[in-house]
Formats: sequence, C-alpha cells, structure tokens
Amino acid sequence: MSENTAKRHMGLRASRALSNTLIHVLLVVMSVVWLIPFVCILLQSFRVESTWQVGYVIPQKWGFDNYVNLWNTDFPRWYMNTLITALVTAVLQTVIVLCMSYTLSRFRFKMRQPLMRFMLILGMFPGMLSMIILYRVLKDLGLTQANAVPGLILVYVASSGMGYYVSKGFFDTIPMSLDEAARVDGATRSQVLYKIILPLAKPIVIYTILTAFMGPWGDFVFARYISFGASAGKNVAVGLYDWLSKDQINKSYTLFCAGGVLVALPVTLLFLFLQKYYVEGVTGGAVKG
Amino acid sequence: MAEVKLTNIKKIYDHNVVAVHDFNLTIHDKEFVVFVGPSGCGKSTTLRMIAGLEDISEGTLEIDGEVVNDLQPKDRDIAMVFQNYALYPHMTVFDNIAFSLRLKKTPEDEVYERVTRAAEILGITEYLMRKPRALSGGQRQRVAIGRAIVRDPKVFLMDEPLSNLDAKLRNQMRAEIILLRQKMNTTFVYVTHDQTEAMTLGDRIVIMQNGYIEQVGTPGEVFDRPRNLFVAGFIGSPQMNFFPARLNRAGDRYTVEVNGHTVELEEERAALLRKHGAGSAEVILGVRPEHLTLCDDGEDSLDGEILVNEMMGSELHLHVRSGESKNVILRVPTIDLSPEKRDRLVSGAHIRFTFSSKVTQIFDPKTEKSLLWD
Repeated sequence: MSENTAKRHMGLRASRALSNTLIHVLLVVMSVVWLIPFVCILLQSFRVESTWQVGYVIPQKWGFDNYVNLWNTDFPRWYMNTLITALVTAVLQTVIVLCMSYTLSRFRFKMRQPLMRFMLILGMFPGMLSMIILYRVLKDLGLTQANAVPGLILVYVASSGMGYYVSKGFFDTIPMSLDEAARVDGATRSQVLYKIILPLAKPIVIYTILTAFMGPWGDFVFARYISFGASAGKNVAVGLYDWLSKDQINKSYTLFCAGGVLVALPVTLLFLFLQKYYVEGVTGGAVKG
Repeated sequence: MAEVKLTNIKKIYDHNVVAVHDFNLTIHDKEFVVFVGPSGCGKSTTLRMIAGLEDISEGTLEIDGEVVNDLQPKDRDIAMVFQNYALYPHMTVFDNIAFSLRLKKTPEDEVYERVTRAAEILGITEYLMRKPRALSGGQRQRVAIGRAIVRDPKVFLMDEPLSNLDAKLRNQMRAEIILLRQKMNTTFVYVTHDQTEAMTLGDRIVIMQNGYIEQVGTPGEVFDRPRNLFVAGFIGSPQMNFFPARLNRAGDRYTVEVNGHTVELEEERAALLRKHGAGSAEVILGVRPEHLTLCDDGEDSLDGEILVNEMMGSELHLHVRSGESKNVILRVPTIDLSPEKRDRLVSGAHIRFTFSSKVTQIFDPKTEKSLLWD
C-alpha cells in the first residue's frame, strides 16, 4: 500500500469514527428524552409522603405503599379484565391472522384479489365509525358495562383477519416448493402450515402474537364506551384514566403511577424475551443458494 | 412399482391458456421415462399433474390401475425431487429424510433404520445432523433424493434435479442416478431440458413442444429416426444441419440434390419414400454434424467457407457457410487429422465436404414431418 492510499485510508477511518460518534451521541440524547417520563412515573410510584401531584421528581420518602394500596381498589379487577381480554384476543387473533395469511399466500381462488382489495379499502376507514352500531349490538347481546370483557374480545377478534398483510408478505417469501415437497411427502395442508411454514416464520408468528396482545392491552376508546362507567367492566387504561379526573387526582395520583408501572411490566418483559426472534434469519439453505 | 397411465390429459389455465394438449402415454412398471423439451413445453406441468400439485383439467391419470385424478399428493404414494431441492431449512438432514416416515407414524427405530440405510446409499451419513444450509449443492441434492428414496414410493418423480449443479457435479450425479435406478428398481419419471440427460438416463424419451408430444421413443429411435424437424433439431448436440434440397425420383430410385451436389439414397430409405409415395419435390435434408466428412478438392462434394473453428479437444467443430445454409456444423475427429491439414482449417478457409446417404433425414418443408417415418 502506498503512503498516499494509506493516508487516505486513515482519513476515511477517522471520518467514519467521527460520524459514528455523532450518531451515538444523538441516539443517547434521544433515548434520555424518551425515557424521562417513564423514569418520572417509576419514581413517583414509590413516593409515600403524599398522594398528590408535587413539584419535584425524587420522592422524599420511599416505600411500596402505593402498590399495596392498589389491592384495595378496583385495580386488580381491571388488571384481570385486561389480561383476560388481551390473552384470549392474542390467541384467537394469532390463529385467525396466520390461517388467513397462509390461505391468501398459498391458495388461488376466484375472489382472492377482490377480497384483498376489499379488505384494504375497508381498513382505510377508522374503526371508530362503527362505534355506535357496535354498542347497540353488544348492548342487545348483554355484553356491555359489567360484561364488557367478552364484548371487547368479540370486537377485537372480529376484524382481526384484516391484519394479514405483514405475515402474508413473509409467507410469500417462503418458497412454494417447500409446501409442495411436504405435500408429496404426505402432509396435509394444515400439517404443512404448522410443521413447515410456522417454524420458518417464527419471527412473524411472534410479531403477530405481540401485536395481537398489545392492541387490547393498551386500548382505551372501545374499552371505555363498552364498559360505559361500570367499574367491573373497565380495563386498566380506562380505570387508571378515571383516577386522573378532577375530583380523584389528589388522592390517586401516586396510585395511578404505581398502576402504570404494573401495566408496563408484562409488556416490557415480553419484548425483552422475544426480541431475539426479530433478528433470527431462518430461511438460509432452503433452496438453491 | 407401478404403471402410470395418462389418457387424454389436458391442462388448461385461466383465460383458456392450454399448457398441455391431449397427452397420452403409458409408463410401464419399472421404466425410466424422461420428458424433455424447451422451457414452456408443458413437461413440468405434466409431471406436476402426476404428482397432484396441479389439477388435471381433462383426461384421466391412473397409477397402478387406480384413477388418481382427485387424490391429494399425499395419497398417491409418489416421491418427488425438486429442482431447487426444497429441503426443510429448519430441520436437520436426518429429520428432512425422516419427515415422510414420521407423518405416517412409523415407529422411531424403523425410521432410524430406514434413514440410515438411505443415507448410506447416497453417502451422506456424516451429514445427518447438519442443517441444509451447511451443505453444498451436491450434498443438498443427495438429501433431496434421500428424502424420496426412503419412502419406497410407487413412482419416483424428478423435476430437473440436476440443473442447479455445476457441469462437473452434474455429470457425476447423472451417473449416480443411473446407479440409483438400478438399486431402486421402480418407475421413474424425469423432467429435463437437457437432451444429454434425456439420452443417457431414459429407457424412453418423450419429446415435447408447446404442450404437444412430438415423439416418444428409445434414445436410439429418436436419434436415428426423428419424426419431425423439431425432434431432429432438439436431439443431438451440436444440432442437426438442415439444407434446402431437391428430391428427385427416377423409377424406384431417389437422389437428393444440395447446392448442385447429388447423392443417391440407399435402398432402405428409398423403400420408405416409395411407401409414402414421395415424388420429386423440394425437401429439407438433415445431416448430423458427425456425418459430414471432409473430402479432397475435385471430388463431387459441397463447398463452404469456415466461419468459426472450435477446438473441443478430441474433435473440431467447424461452423461453415455453404450456399444458402448460413451455419453448417461439422464435427471433425482430430485423431486422424494431420497437423498440416488441421492448420488449414482456419476461419476464412474454403473446404469441401460430403455426406453418406445412409444417415440422411428428409423432411417435408410444409408439414415439417419426416418423409422417412414409417
């Protein structure tokens, strides 16, 4: 290597290091800004000297009083409501979405294209448009207020087939000849799906489960109007929000923070454990390559 | 071990696109049949219909005497090797090969025994615990074949299994398929676009074009007695030379005249022409490159100018322009070519060549059919 190229090489390396540093500094600043509200909530949830909003962040007296006091409210009920809704929805929605995606990816039937276009257009309307009629129907079925949980599950699961885009896109990248080989080997269509396609689509299956869980877990609008003021039918988002109302906020602010932490916990853990599946490349060596 | 019988099989896609027209063929028990043809000729579609991966639009398909038109692939007891191997990437080689046995709930010790036996036949025992991505192309192809042979199927289908391999490996695997066939002793249907594979592997070859069967026959038959221009041009490499020529009949005898050079046809060919009632007419004369021989000046022969000279080692391929024929190919063995003579065979040089009447093919220019077909 001549001296010149060596110098140029060094210059290149230096400028790359510089831009890397800049990017990292920017990322650190962004993540700090992003994390501040969460840290505040976490700190407030351990404050025991008052339940009011205060002008400082670091508690003067620390303790678990807020978490203990949550037990004496409706919060456990709300938490169970949310958990049941989210888990049942996650299971049903995942099954529906994956079957739908497999069907649209692998089968060729007459109305396939029109169906996909129809769902695309239907998906452009905000879900809130259906609010009034949904309430009417659910009320007639007796699935509102205290019975909001099954009603909510119905609402979330009913339209879940329309969320097939991402997983269908992924299934499309799995070579059709794998299905064909498995079918010749003696597999039925459903065996092909769960023995060949799903193991290869693990990242997308996990993505589907997570999104199916997250939707109901954080939903506010549908949950609020379907529970319609009945405490027994609220989910955490609705219940916690009500603690921030004018007449409640002074006695419930730190409770709200503790509740918020408990709501964030399972989701955070889920993401931490499942993160690695996002990056796993599994299709290597399937076909020529 | 089974006979496969295709009767009036048709494949019609949407918008009336016909991929296979009226396919009739009986593949005998333990026969090795090769479907060959250019891409888009319907050979793969036909194979996939046998496998059950494509619906049969019309006609009946029987395997072992049973109509299987509406049976799912899994119920047809067939095995198939795909062009891109189609190995399950998340399973080890062992699990790949065992997949079909486990679906049939075979006891695990039997699975182990059969998989190891198949692996021994193919020489992949040491890779059994690897994932497909850690294998080379040739090894993957072996696994794909292993997955098929472990089942002991009635019919063995192969869809261009060698076309993803490099030339050297392809020759080696071709030989292995011949050996495998001797060991397996079952019915094989093999699809390829490569006429060399077809000639070397097949007991019978089915040559297809545009969804039609052009000819069915043993490698010798399709080579020596092509039924039409397409088959004549497709089988054999380099391909057969075609000359516009004139067929002259004088009584019971026939001569062909090409660019002023006249050759009398021998009796066997003359008899076939008489049977067809062929008279004097314009025809297309076909002569394979190996049947054109160089000759000395002065003899009654064709002349031409060498355009390209390809040295293949044991032989020279001379691309020659001769009269109206723009690219006539001659295969000249180098073994009995003197160095001085070889030096003269360069681009631009003029040569004279002739052919024997015993090896000529004669086609009708309008129907493109052979006039020597009986």
